[in-house]
Amino acid sequence: MSFHLKTVWLNLQFWTIAPLYSVVFGVLATLYVNFHYLVTRDRRRKSRLIRRSLTHYGRGILWCSWPLIRVRYVDTEPNLQPPFVVVANHRSSSDGFLMSLLPLELVQVVNIWPARVPIMGGLVRVAGYLKVREMSHEDFVRDGSQLLAEGCTVAAFPEGTRSGSRRIGPFHGSAFRLAQATGVPVVPLAIAGNERMPPRGSPFLRPGRVVVTKLPAITQANYAGMNPFQLKTDVRETIQTYLESVEHVAPSVAKVGGRA
Amino acid sequence: MTDAELVQAVNDVFADSFEIDREKLTPEAQIFGDLGLDSLDIVDLVAAIQKRFSVQVRDDERVRAIRSLQDLYNYLILIRTEQNKA
Repeated sequence: MSFHLKTVWLNLQFWTIAPLYSVVFGVLATLYVNFHYLVTRDRRRKSRLIRRSLTHYGRGILWCSWPLIRVRYVDTEPNLQPPFVVVANHRSSSDGFLMSLLPLELVQVVNIWPARVPIMGGLVRVAGYLKVREMSHEDFVRDGSQLLAEGCTVAAFPEGTRSGSRRIGPFHGSAFRLAQATGVPVVPLAIAGNERMPPRGSPFLRPGRVVVTKLPAITQANYAGMNPFQLKTDVRETIQTYLESVEHVAPSVAKVGGRA
Repeated sequence: MTDAELVQAVNDVFADSFEIDREKLTPEAQIFGDLGLDSLDIVDLVAAIQKRFSVQVRDDERVRAIRSLQDLYNYLILIRTEQNKA
């Protein structure tokens, strides 16, 4: 079987198994969460269960993509205690699933479209995901602070949209302002290898390896003297420098802002 | 303040408040795209500009049309001219 035919076959396999898995998981998770809620009547626990279910679902989807896509998670600071704000580069629609590799209770900061997709939109709402484009910055910091106070980590893709390439776009500052407002560490997360898994505008997954690396945290003591712009620029450069070092690409000519 | 001094003062705001390299502060640089500021950073920028130039620009609709550093220079030169006439 040629490489191309094998890729087509593995895509067919993924696009058969993943929807089936989604339906089965969705039914079972819905039954479990609602039964639990009927017994406990605890909305906060329901939200936590949904977040945990989404994490399990995400990991399952990553399993479904094997052996087409092989994913590795590297944690450079496994003893770091949550909560914190995770900020990752954003290359592909698979990034949301890769967040499930983090062994944490976590909510994601999401754009407009996930909240408008049927089923997913409801889950996003009940899980307490932060719809940053549909709320004021004050509401974002208030809700984010509450989640962090409950021990829940907040994960964001500060580029706001997928780059579809190895380029990192300019960062938005909301997540960094949330970290500074609450004093929690900022954890850079570098995602390498998935820019064509799938490519923008196509469902066809290209084979390859994805490496997700949790880089050392920037603690409150580290960012105390920085304003939000300096912090986001610093984190962006940390991720970019790391990715350039592991992907062996020439330094980007399109560096945005900040120090060289 | 001459136009050149005003341009220098605006560049000082970007270099001091945002630690942006001075070689990036060219007139055609896009404040959002090239310099990496977002809508929240603009609030900080406006505060820094108001403090540096002792002007009130927060509620001025013309601020919304500013995209590049040249736009910002032109806007502040216009404000200065209006202040001198008043």
